[in-house]
Amino acid sequence: MTNHASDLIVTENLRKDYREDDIVVPAVRGVDLVIKEREFTALVGPSGSGKTTLLNIISGLDSPTEGRVWLKGKPISEMKGAELSDFRRDHIGFVFQAYNLIPVLSAEENIEYIMMLQGVPKNERRERVRKILGDVGLQGMGRRMPPKLSGGQQQRVAIARAMVSRPGLILADEPTANLDSETGAALLDIMRELNEKTGMTFLFSTHDRMVMDRADRIITLKDGRVARDEIRAENPIR
Amino acid sequence: MGFFIKLAWRNIFRNKRRTFIAGIAIAVGLASLIFCDALIRGMKDNLIKSATASFLGEGQIHARRFWETQDAEKTVNNLPTVLDGLRSEKDVELFTLRTMSLGTISSPANVSSVLFVGVNPETEQRLSRVDDVLEEGSYFRDGGKRDMVLGGDLAELLEVELGDRVVVTVSRAGSGDLAQEMFRVSGIFRFHIKEMDGSFAFARIDKAREMLGLDGGAHEIALKFRDNRFALDPGNPFWDTYSREGNEAVSWTALLPELTRVMDMVWVALGFLAVILFGIVVFGIINTLFMSLYERMFEFGVLRAVGTRPSDVRKLIVCEAGALAVLSIVMGSILGFVLTFVLAQTGIDYRGIEFAGTGFSELLYPVLHFSQFIIYPAAVFVFTILVGLYPARAAGRLTVADALRKSL
Repeated sequence: MTNHASDLIVTENLRKDYREDDIVVPAVRGVDLVIKEREFTALVGPSGSGKTTLLNIISGLDSPTEGRVWLKGKPISEMKGAELSDFRRDHIGFVFQAYNLIPVLSAEENIEYIMMLQGVPKNERRERVRKILGDVGLQGMGRRMPPKLSGGQQQRVAIARAMVSRPGLILADEPTANLDSETGAALLDIMRELNEKTGMTFLFSTHDRMVMDRADRIITLKDGRVARDEIRAENPIR
Repeated sequence: MGFFIKLAWRNIFRNKRRTFIAGIAIAVGLASLIFCDALIRGMKDNLIKSATASFLGEGQIHARRFWETQDAEKTVNNLPTVLDGLRSEKDVELFTLRTMSLGTISSPANVSSVLFVGVNPETEQRLSRVDDVLEEGSYFRDGGKRDMVLGGDLAELLEVELGDRVVVTVSRAGSGDLAQEMFRVSGIFRFHIKEMDGSFAFARIDKAREMLGLDGGAHEIALKFRDNRFALDPGNPFWDTYSREGNEAVSWTALLPELTRVMDMVWVALGFLAVILFGIVVFGIINTLFMSLYERMFEFGVLRAVGTRPSDVRKLIVCEAGALAVLSIVMGSILGFVLTFVLAQTGIDYRGIEFAGTGFSELLYPVLHFSQFIIYPAAVFVFTILVGLYPARAAGRLTVADALRKSL
């Protein structure tokens, strides 16, 4: 049995079925998983193995057909509406494959957005944006609009956006898929450094070898089940 | 809220062409409403002026029931006292006395019924526009006692021209005996109002009194006020003051109730027009907002994923509807102003067309009024916001995982 209060993510017998007409398609079939704070974990597996569905359920973007999810000891799978939105806002950062910045907001406005939702005072927002832009190597580029930034720069902004509100968990979906290997490696190094510096937990869904090489732990999914759970580096917290 | 307004304002310019097309649709609707309002105001002013300044006056005093019976015996009671009172009224700009009698008019070629009106040419000229609409001849200029000014249609019926003789037959007050006099046609007018052009004949009031046996009396006192809004107030004590001792004082609104009713109906028609225009516009707004919503479904998924509440997503869509409304209102107000302003300078020629028993005697000038740029834009804004609630509701209910299905 797990300690829900101290573990960051706990899933219990997680199942998700999709229905298409009368056909039931199982996407996740009874996943029990514990992810602790400060982990740098890669969720890998072939297409259709259930990686995206599992991330969606863990983050509360989708609801499970069966089972429960606890995040920071809170049953996120049972939250709804504004409570769920606020919980996600305060505890989870997202990095998407296609960056997905708001194109009409500048880099610094994109980063500021979540803090604005949190009601962080303007001066503090500005200060945190300035600092995190420095952390991701984008000093002086805060006023640029997303279309004026390269793919790598946009993904750095996305990382900054995900981290600026200081969530406990960063979920990253194929964050290097649209980047060249050099840029991808640089971004992974930034994330790894931030993981070690801030203690934020990273959970990646990926096919990228570079991500796997940097991960402490690799969870392999196959047909909606955990096929392998490999700890590749010793984490001081574990 | 300020952040969402900024975001909404920028969002509506992401697809400039679509925003412009939707904005123009709303703007044209707004401009149409502004112009129709201005046109109705101009039409109202024109018709009231036609009805009152042509001949009727803004108010009248008669003996009670004269207006209904046209009985020659029913002259204004206590005329000298009434006239003294009117002279001391600061709101009365001028007045004129008339006799009015139904009779017949004949020429060698034809005979017709006529409303034989005795007027004081000097005061009548200042109150009514008979002298302004003369097609031929002059307006009692040569001082001839038997001069007669008659309507163009009546002259055509009688086949008379300037200088020709006509004979008027009326019934004398009291005895009811017939009185007959010969007049000479000195002027022919045309108001483009069928009733007036076809049956009115004016003579000097002294001659008319003599024929009717009135001995200084008058059937009607026509009034003009310093402010034409004076006559629009039925609760004004003026009407009670002069509705005594067997007399009745009435405003033009009572004399021409059909005109008032028609104008009310025109305003109602404008209301229907507004509903139809808004109805057309509503589909444009909904279509634009839904297209924008579906086009950015993934983006809304991202917004929700990073912690934006459903209520904030709804707020954003409503702000986008508001931003579209503001843009449309600016375009529509400019368009409406320019269109109305240009036509208010050039005028629209409806002369000769009868409407509600009267006619347009002058060019119709649409009237710009500040309320047109407050009421209608405010209505468009509120309406657009209300319409925006529907797509906003849909946006608030979207499932985040569905919106993000192709990515995370």
